[in-house]
Amino acid sequence: MLTTNQIIFSVMLSLYTLSALCALVFYRKQRLANIVPNILSGTGALCGIWLSLTQLIGLQPEQVALIRWISSIPNVTVNLSLDKLSAFFLFILSVVNVGAALYSIGYLTHYYNRRNIGLFNFCFNIFNITMIGVITASHMIFFFIAWELMSLFSYFLVVFEADSSENQRAGTIYLIMTHLAAAFLMIAFILIHQFTNSWQIGGSLQDLPPLIKNLLFACFLIGFGTKAGIIPLHIWLPYAHPAAPSNVSALMSGVMIKIAIYGMIRFIMEALGSGFQWWGMVILIIGIITTVLGAAYSFMENNIKRLLAYCSIENIGIILTGFGAACWSYAANYPVLGALALLACLIHIFNHAIIKGILFFGAGAIYNATHTKDMESLGGLVKSMPFLGVFMLVASLAIAAIPPLNGFVGEWLIYQSLFASLEVAPLGLKVVIMLAVAGLAIGSALAAASFIKMFGISFLGLPRSTRAKEAKDPSFTIILSMGLFALLSLGVGIFPGVLVRLLDGVVYNLSGITISGELQGDSFLLYYPLTIGKNSLAPLAVLIGGCFITGMVFLAVKLLGGSTRQRKYITWDCGFTGLTSRMQYTATGFSKPLRIIFRIIYRPSRELKVEEGVSPYFHKAMKYVVTTQPVFEQFLYRPLVKGLVDFAKVVKMKVQTGSVHTYLVYIFVTILILFVYFAAS
Amino acid sequence: MNYLASFGLQILVMVALAPLVNGIIKKVKAFSQKRKGPPLLQLYYDLWKLFKKDTVVSETTSWIFRITPYIVAGAVVLAALLVPVNLNLPSFHFAGDVILVIYLLGMARFFMVLSGLDSGSTFGGMGSSREVMISVLLEPSLLISMFTIGLIAGSTSVYSMMISSAGTGFLLFQPVYLLLFLAVFIILIAETSRIPVDDPATHLELTMVHEAMILEYSGKHLALMEWAACIKQLIFITLLANIFLPLESFLAFASPNSTLMSSLLLYLAKVIFIAVLVAVTEISTVKLRLFSVPNLAALSFILAFLGFFQYLLVGR
Amino acid sequence: MIENYLHLLSITILITAFMLVANKRVNEYIKTFQLQSLLLAIIAGILGVHHVSQTGDWEILLVAVITVAVKVVYIPYLLRTTVRKVEYKVEKDFFWNIPISILICCGLVLLSYFTITNIEDISDRFVKIFLINSTAVVLIGLFFMISRKKAIGQIIGFLVIENGLFTAAILSTNGMPMIVELGIFFDLLTAVLIMGILVFRINESFESIDIDKLKNLRG
Repeated sequence: MLTTNQIIFSVMLSLYTLSALCALVFYRKQRLANIVPNILSGTGALCGIWLSLTQLIGLQPEQVALIRWISSIPNVTVNLSLDKLSAFFLFILSVVNVGAALYSIGYLTHYYNRRNIGLFNFCFNIFNITMIGVITASHMIFFFIAWELMSLFSYFLVVFEADSSENQRAGTIYLIMTHLAAAFLMIAFILIHQFTNSWQIGGSLQDLPPLIKNLLFACFLIGFGTKAGIIPLHIWLPYAHPAAPSNVSALMSGVMIKIAIYGMIRFIMEALGSGFQWWGMVILIIGIITTVLGAAYSFMENNIKRLLAYCSIENIGIILTGFGAACWSYAANYPVLGALALLACLIHIFNHAIIKGILFFGAGAIYNATHTKDMESLGGLVKSMPFLGVFMLVASLAIAAIPPLNGFVGEWLIYQSLFASLEVAPLGLKVVIMLAVAGLAIGSALAAASFIKMFGISFLGLPRSTRAKEAKDPSFTIILSMGLFALLSLGVGIFPGVLVRLLDGVVYNLSGITISGELQGDSFLLYYPLTIGKNSLAPLAVLIGGCFITGMVFLAVKLLGGSTRQRKYITWDCGFTGLTSRMQYTATGFSKPLRIIFRIIYRPSRELKVEEGVSPYFHKAMKYVVTTQPVFEQFLYRPLVKGLVDFAKVVKMKVQTGSVHTYLVYIFVTILILFVYFAAS
Repeated sequence: MNYLASFGLQILVMVALAPLVNGIIKKVKAFSQKRKGPPLLQLYYDLWKLFKKDTVVSETTSWIFRITPYIVAGAVVLAALLVPVNLNLPSFHFAGDVILVIYLLGMARFFMVLSGLDSGSTFGGMGSSREVMISVLLEPSLLISMFTIGLIAGSTSVYSMMISSAGTGFLLFQPVYLLLFLAVFIILIAETSRIPVDDPATHLELTMVHEAMILEYSGKHLALMEWAACIKQLIFITLLANIFLPLESFLAFASPNSTLMSSLLLYLAKVIFIAVLVAVTEISTVKLRLFSVPNLAALSFILAFLGFFQYLLVGR
Repeated sequence: MIENYLHLLSITILITAFMLVANKRVNEYIKTFQLQSLLLAIIAGILGVHHVSQTGDWEILLVAVITVAVKVVYIPYLLRTTVRKVEYKVEKDFFWNIPISILICCGLVLLSYFTITNIEDISDRFVKIFLINSTAVVLIGLFFMISRKKAIGQIIGFLVIENGLFTAAILSTNGMPMIVELGIFFDLLTAVLIMGILVFRINESFESIDIDKLKNLRG
C-alpha cells in the first residue's frame, strides 16, 4: 500500500524523468524542447515543495521510506527515505528549481540555433534527479553512485558551451577535483563498512575506535569540503561557475555545494556524533579562512560570474563557521548552543540558495543582453534594464547582510551563536571564536564591497559600451523568477520565525533539543522578535520603523524646504568639456586600495607597455595590465601537479619499459607473491 | 504612549543635537588657531539654507542617486533610535542589538557609496573606493570591541551594555575599558572622516573621502547627507559616552532624585567632552597618507583584541 | 585596588611597545621609548610609595628616581645627540609593513599568554597578568630589533627588552635587590654608550646606519 508521501515522491520523480525524456523526444524542435520540459520540471519542483513541507511541518513520522527496491545482486539496492534533514534540502532544491524552470524558459532562448536545447534539458533534469537521489539515499553505495552521477552530469552542464578552450579547461579542473573528493568519500564508506558491516546510512558510528573516527572525519572533511569549495580545495569553483550556463550556476552554487554540507551534517554530525572537540575547532578555523579569503578574492574579480563564484566560497565559509560552532558545542556537551548554531547554519544555507539564485539569474540575463561578463564594459544598466536593476539591488543588499533582508537574519544568528559560545568555551577556543567574529565582520564588509562594486560598476554611471547602452530588460519569465526570489528573500528577512519553525524539527531530530522555545518568535501583527538570551531582533519592527522614519524625513524635507525646483544638469567635469564613460572609475580602480593593502594575499603585478610615437612625449598607445595571482594554484597545486608529473615520468622510464618480457615478469612475480602470502596465512 | 514619547525624545535629542557637535569641534579647532571661528550654530544655518535651495541632479544618475539621501537619513536615524541617550526611558532595544546598529550604518554606507558611483564622475568613484577600503579595515575591530563589552554585560544589546557599565564607577581606569575605549575612539575618528584619516574641511581630490562621495549632491539632498553624517557621528559618540563614561552613579550621588533633565544635561556634558577630545585629536595630528590608514586600523584592531584578551585574563 | 592601577600601567607599557612597532621615524622611536620608561618609573613610584607607607622601605622609590634620571632623561638625550650627529635620512626602515608587524606582535602576546598560563606555580592572578604583559614586551622588543634596519632600531629594541624585564621583575617580585638594579643600570648605560659609538663607526665606514650593510664585512 502506497502512502501519500510515496505517491507524491513518485509523481515528482516521474515528472522529472518525463521532463528529461520529453527533452530528448523534442530533440529537433527547440521551442518545444525548451518549454515542455521546463514546465514539467517546474511542476515536479512544486511537488517537491509540497512533499518536503508536509514532512518539515511535522505531520509525518520521523523518517518515511519512499522507495525500497532490493535486487538479487548483493549490495545493489535502491533505498530512498526522507527524514527532516533530507526534507529541508529537498525543499531548497525544489524552491531553487521552481525559479530555475521559470528562468530557463526565457534564458535558453538565447541558445536557439546555436546549441541543442533538448540535450541541455535532458542533462539538467537528470542532474536534478541525481541530487534528489543523494539527498534521500539511505544506502551508502547508492549514495555514492548518485553522488558520482551528480558530479558527472554537472560536468556535462559546465562544459555545455564547449567551444572555448577556457570552458573545457574549467570542466577538466572540476572533474579532477570532484573525483579527488569522491576518492576520499569512497575510502570513508569502505572504512565504515569494514567496521560496522553495514551500508546503511544513519546508523550510529560513535562506538568506533577513536583513530578510525578521526580518519573518517578527515576523509569526510576533504571529500565533502572539496565539493563545498572550502579553501584551499576551492580551485574548481571560480572556473566552473563562469563557464556553466547561468541556470546551472544557480543550481550548482545554490544547491549542489550545499549538498556537500548536507553530507557533512549527515555523516560528521549525525553518524559520528560530532566526535571530539577539536573537530569543531578545525571546521571553525577552516570556516574563518574560507570566509575571509573567499570574500577577499571576490572583491578583486571583474568578471561578474567569477565574483559570484568567490562569493559562494565566502558563504560556504560562513556556513561552516556556524557548523563548526555547532559541532564543537555538541562535542563539549552544550546541546542548546549546538542546536542554535546548527539552526543558524541551516538558515544561512537556505538564504544563500535564494540570493545566489537571483544573482546568477541576473548575471545570465546581463550576459544575454550584452554578451559580456566583464564589468569593465558594462555600466548604466539600471536605466536600460530597470527591473533587473531592482532585483539585483535587492539581492546585493541581501547578500551584503543589510537589514531587513534575509542575509542579515542568517548572519545575525551566526553572530549570536558565536557570542553564546564565547561565554562557555575554554580559553584557547575563545580566542579562536573571537577571531571568527572578526573574520565574519571583515568577510561581510568585503562582501558588501564586492557587491557595491558589482552593482555600482555594471548598473550605475555611464554605459561603457554600446551593447550595455542598448541592453533591454529580459523576457517576462526571467523577471518573474527573479521577482519571486526577491520577494522570498524579503519575506524570510521579515518573518524569519517561519523558517525557524520549519527547521525546528530538523534540529530536534539531530540533537533532541527544540530550539523554537529559545527563539521566541511569535507572530502577531507588529513584532516578530527572535530572542536569544536577552538579545532580540524584531525585523518587522525594524522595517516598519525604518519606513516610518524615512517617510517622516521625506515629509520634513518637504515642509522645511517648501517648494523648490529640481534641475537636471551634467555631472561636474572640472570645467572640461564633456565627461565620457572612459573617465569613470573602473572596476579595477575601485578595488585598487585594497589590492595594495592586502598585496600579501593578492600578489598583484603591474605592467605598463608604451608604444612610442614620434616624440617621447606623445605616446601612440599605452597598455596597462594589472593581474592578481591565484595564490593557491601557484604555490600549492602547481608544485603538486609538477611533482606528480615528474613521478609519472620516472615510472614511465623505469617501470613501464615497453618490453613484453618485463610485463610478464611483473605478472609472474605478483602471482608468486600471492601464493606465498596465502601459504603464510 | 510612554514608549512613543520616549522614542520621540530619543530621536529628537539625537537629530537636534547632532549638528551642534560639529559646531563644538569647529569652535575648539578655531580656538587652538587663535581664530574666532564660525558660530556654534553655523551648521544649523547651513542646513536651513540648503533645505531652501533648488537641487541640481546630474543627468547621468539614476533613481538610486535620488533615493539615497532619504535611505541614508532613514537608516541612520533608525540606528540612532537603538542607541539610547538616556537609560531611564523605555528603549527600543527589543528591536535589535549592536549588530543591527552596525549593519544599519552599513546600509547607509552601501547606498552612499553607490550614489558616489552613480554620478559617473571620477571623484565619486574615488571617494567610494576609499570609503569601502576604510570600512573593510575597521569592521573587525568594531565588532571585537562590541562583543567584548557584550561579554561583560552578558548581552549584545546596546541598552544592556550601557546598563551594565552604568552600575560601576569610573570605568576608564579599568584596563579592559581603556583599551576598548581607545579602539572605538579610533573607529569614531575614521568613520566620521576626521583628520588623521580624512579631512572634512578640504576639497582636494588627494585628501577627501567622504566629501568626494557626496560631491554631486546639492540642496536638500546635500543637507540630508550632511545631517546624516552628523547623526552617525553622534551615534558613535553616544556609544562611547554611555558605555565608557557612565557617570550615572556620580549623578545619583550628587542629587539622589535626579530628574530626566539633569541626566540629559549630564549626557550633554559627556558628549561635549568627547567632542573636545575629537577636536584635540584633529588639532594634534596630521592627515595620514591613505595607505597609512591600515596602520591606524591595525592599531585599533590590536587595542580591541588586547582588550578582549585582558578581559579573558581578569574577567573584567 | 593597587593591582588594578598596576595592571592598567602594565597594559599601557604593552601599548607603548605596540606604538613603537607602529612607528616609522627614528625620533618617534626615542619619544615612545621615553614614554615607556616614564610609565615604568610611575609603576616603580607607585610601588615605592606603597612600600614606604607599608614597611618604610625606600629602595624601590630610589629605583624609580634612578629610572627617571637614566631612562627618561639621560639615555634619550644620548640617543638624540647620536641621531643628530649621524646624518639622518628618511628612508624605509622596516622589512615588513606595519600592519603585518603589528599582527605578528599580537601573535607574540598570544604566545606569551599560552606559555605563562602553563606555569602552574604562579597562583596570583595579577602576577600572571603582569608576567604575560611584560614577557610580551620583551618579545616585541626582540621582534623590533629584528624588523628594523637602522642601528638605532637595534638600540631601542634592546632598551625595550630591558624595560620588559624590569617590569616583570618589579611587578612580580617587588623589585630585585638594590645592588642588582644598580648593576643593570650601569650595564645599560655602558651598552648604550658603546652602541652609540658603534653607530658612529658604522656611519663613517658605510655612510649609512643600515646594518644590512654589515653583510659586506664577510670577507
